[in-house]
Amino acid sequence: MTITGTSEKAAYQALKASDWHLEGAFDAFYSQPQPKSYTDARRLEDLYNRYKDAYADMIMADGITLLCSDILVDHQDIVMLVLSWHMKAATMCEFSKQEFIGGLQSLGVDSIEKLREKIPFMRSELKDDQKFREIYNFAFGWAKEKGQKSLALDTAIGMWQLLFAEKHWPLVDHWCQFLQARHNKAISRDTWSQLLEFAKTVDPQLSNYDVDGAWPYLIDEFVEYLIENGIIQNGQLSDWTQKH
Amino acid sequence: MVLHKFGEKLYSGLVGTMTLHLQEMAKTIEAAQGNLFLEELNRKWNDHNKALQMIRDILMYMDRTFIPSNRKTPVHELGLNLWRDNVIHSSKIQTRLLDTLLELIQKERTGEIINRGLMRNIIKMLMDLGSSVYQEDFEKHFLEVSADFYRAESQDFIECCDCGDYLKKAERRLNEEIERVSLYLDSKSETKITNVVEKEMIASHMLRLVHMDNSGLVNMLIDDKYEDLGRMYNLFRRVPNGLPTIRDVMTSHLRETGKQLVTDAEKLKDPVEFVQCLLNEKDKYDKIINLAFSNDKTFQNALNSSFEYFINLNPRSPEFISLFVDEKLRKGLKGVSEEDVETILDKVMMLFRYLQEKDVFEKYYKQHLAKRLLSGKTVSDDAERSLIVKLKTECGYQFTSKLEGMFTDMKTSQDTMQGFYAAYAAELGDSPTLVVQVLTTGSWPTQPSITCNLPAEMSALCEKFRSYYLGTHTGRRLSWQTNMGTADLKAIFGKGQKHELNVSTYQMCVLMLFNSADRLSYKEIEQATEIPSSDLRRCLQSLACVKGKNVLRKEPMSKDIGEEDAFFVNDKFTSKFYKVKIGTVVAQKESEPEKQETRQRVEEDRKPQIEAAIVRIMKSRRVLDHNNIIAEVTKQLQSRFLANPGEIKKRIESLIERDFLERDSSDRRLYRYLA
Repeated sequence: MTITGTSEKAAYQALKASDWHLEGAFDAFYSQPQPKSYTDARRLEDLYNRYKDAYADMIMADGITLLCSDILVDHQDIVMLVLSWHMKAATMCEFSKQEFIGGLQSLGVDSIEKLREKIPFMRSELKDDQKFREIYNFAFGWAKEKGQKSLALDTAIGMWQLLFAEKHWPLVDHWCQFLQARHNKAISRDTWSQLLEFAKTVDPQLSNYDVDGAWPYLIDEFVEYLIENGIIQNGQLSDWTQKH
Repeated sequence: MVLHKFGEKLYSGLVGTMTLHLQEMAKTIEAAQGNLFLEELNRKWNDHNKALQMIRDILMYMDRTFIPSNRKTPVHELGLNLWRDNVIHSSKIQTRLLDTLLELIQKERTGEIINRGLMRNIIKMLMDLGSSVYQEDFEKHFLEVSADFYRAESQDFIECCDCGDYLKKAERRLNEEIERVSLYLDSKSETKITNVVEKEMIASHMLRLVHMDNSGLVNMLIDDKYEDLGRMYNLFRRVPNGLPTIRDVMTSHLRETGKQLVTDAEKLKDPVEFVQCLLNEKDKYDKIINLAFSNDKTFQNALNSSFEYFINLNPRSPEFISLFVDEKLRKGLKGVSEEDVETILDKVMMLFRYLQEKDVFEKYYKQHLAKRLLSGKTVSDDAERSLIVKLKTECGYQFTSKLEGMFTDMKTSQDTMQGFYAAYAAELGDSPTLVVQVLTTGSWPTQPSITCNLPAEMSALCEKFRSYYLGTHTGRRLSWQTNMGTADLKAIFGKGQKHELNVSTYQMCVLMLFNSADRLSYKEIEQATEIPSSDLRRCLQSLACVKGKNVLRKEPMSKDIGEEDAFFVNDKFTSKFYKVKIGTVVAQKESEPEKQETRQRVEEDRKPQIEAAIVRIMKSRRVLDHNNIIAEVTKQLQSRFLANPGEIKKRIESLIERDFLERDSSDRRLYRYLA
């Protein structure tokens, strides 16, 4: 209940359905469609107006800051990304009316309190593999500049730090260092999405890294970089921080 | 007797009598001394045969009736069997017979003469007695003993002979055995005994022979010992793995020498020499394979793969081959017959085929051809065209279309000039003669388009041409390539010396300035002509600092051109020749930075080609996995260059970025074509 944020009844049902196995219960819970609770359209409208920008028909930076303080969440907290994902927000730091209202509706909330209550649930969604992947891939389009095809390196690194704090990947720091030293260009969508696959399938010692594995060129270079700098030696991930 | 049903009695009587008789014979034979043993055996055998014949005739009736119906051995055969059992297999005779035969063969092998006729008869006797008798009583042992003999002999030889001699001896022994078989052994023994010789003399010592110091295969190759090589080929051909052994050693030697050749710093200084060495090496081995290895295709292939290997070790090979061709087409082929020209060009094509980076060759060839055409320095138009045709046959139309375009431009320009002079004949009577070559931009190597200030006489003329040309070809743009032209100037020097100077356009601009000034500083010249400074320096150097061509005088007399230098006409200029050639637009080996630049351009050109190949393949296959794309693309581009898998990968990613391709959602190694 603490993790999924759901009601006692639903939790009991899920556990029972999966023979009291915790993992199975999570799976069952997430695979069923969320109960569509009734949301009051007018209250949503009011809520939107609370955050809407003075000059444009959108929620901009100020509105978002207010929203964050209302729901007691730091605006750099990853849960804001999850919220944006529910809203299918096109770009970071702004929500259109449709995105805001649509997002809250799909979450089944129409007030600040209800939204606050949904926060644990949203955090838990990051633990689900499938959802994490969706959120991760969503983050690319969301974080990049409008009209650009690729994601600026600094932004990408920031996002990676954030995301891989959730889904722990031991090589994330080396990856970011590598990019700053050797690449210094924007990140393509393919590289972004393939990096997650890489982090998931290839172990940090690179023992199952297949050089013919159709990984993007940048990732191949990263592997070379790791080996060149002795970070991976004889299949061991040595502690780089000790050397420097 | 048979008729009276006494067949059985007759038969057994025959058996008994004959047996006894034969046993007697055997004793006589056994008694024979030394050399007479065989003769005695032979004589008795002949007697027996005669007797057998008579007996058979006499007992013919029994032979035909009683024997078949009672399943008895026929008379003749019976006679043979009894002979075999009682004489040949008699304990005292059997071993002695074998030993005698083997002894005689041994004698013959060591050079003695033996009675071959007698041998033949005895062996024939054994054969008549049945092939199992021949094999068991003779052949088997013969082969064993021979093996021992040759094993020992080959061991001796290999210690004291060099490779060539050893092979001669082996060949001789082989021929001896073949002769022996034909003279007095069963022909079926031939393969068996030759196998023995081959195994003991050749197969066992193959590697030692090939690698023998100072006389082994490598030495034979270096010294063109065709006879020895041919002998080795013929002998080794007979043993399993013989030819592969020769081939492998030849290949590694060839690769080694080739590698040294292409990395030899001395040779690399002169590209023409470099290529000539390659051609010589190829000729050498072609001859060896032809004369000694009977044109064996597998050896040809080994030769080709070795050449391909080391030619591509040197990244400048394409450039050098083009320079070689350039030298030949500019002067080397002067006075050479048409046939010989074709031969040389064909040889060059052979080297060309070995190149992996044919697109690099194309780039250089274009540059060099351009220079040849524009300076009018080609020895034979036919030779040029012939080579283009060969390249087209080898690489397809695409490769040569631009080159052909260059030739077309030259021809068209001639026509244009005729038209120009026809149209302006009257006006142009006094003006300098202008020859313009109009080059289509796409076909010729790209040049930065820099203009300079032409002398007044020239610029007026050029403008006339421009308006004439654009009058007939609207919508085109002309830009003068002043860095590529030449000029012939008639000059009169201080003491009245008259010369005709052949110079580059830049040099002409500089020289013409001195028609209206005696002294000019570097800066003044630069301002007046607007020639880019590095070109101007080179130009002034060639006019003032080269002995025999110093039509200008420079103060100070240093070799370098300084900003403050002053120039004068060299009134004291002399030359043996009336016509003095100063301008050179000759193709040369590129300097290091130029080389880098060309290499860069080639790499850039390859990117769209790789992308085009990827798109072509994906369009037809729709879905394809990573490794297969790399393989297919490499194969498609093979005829132009060796595609780098890393580069192919980058292109694939670029195409994904631009939404030409996407990764499959379930299998990340699959790519899908997006229409």
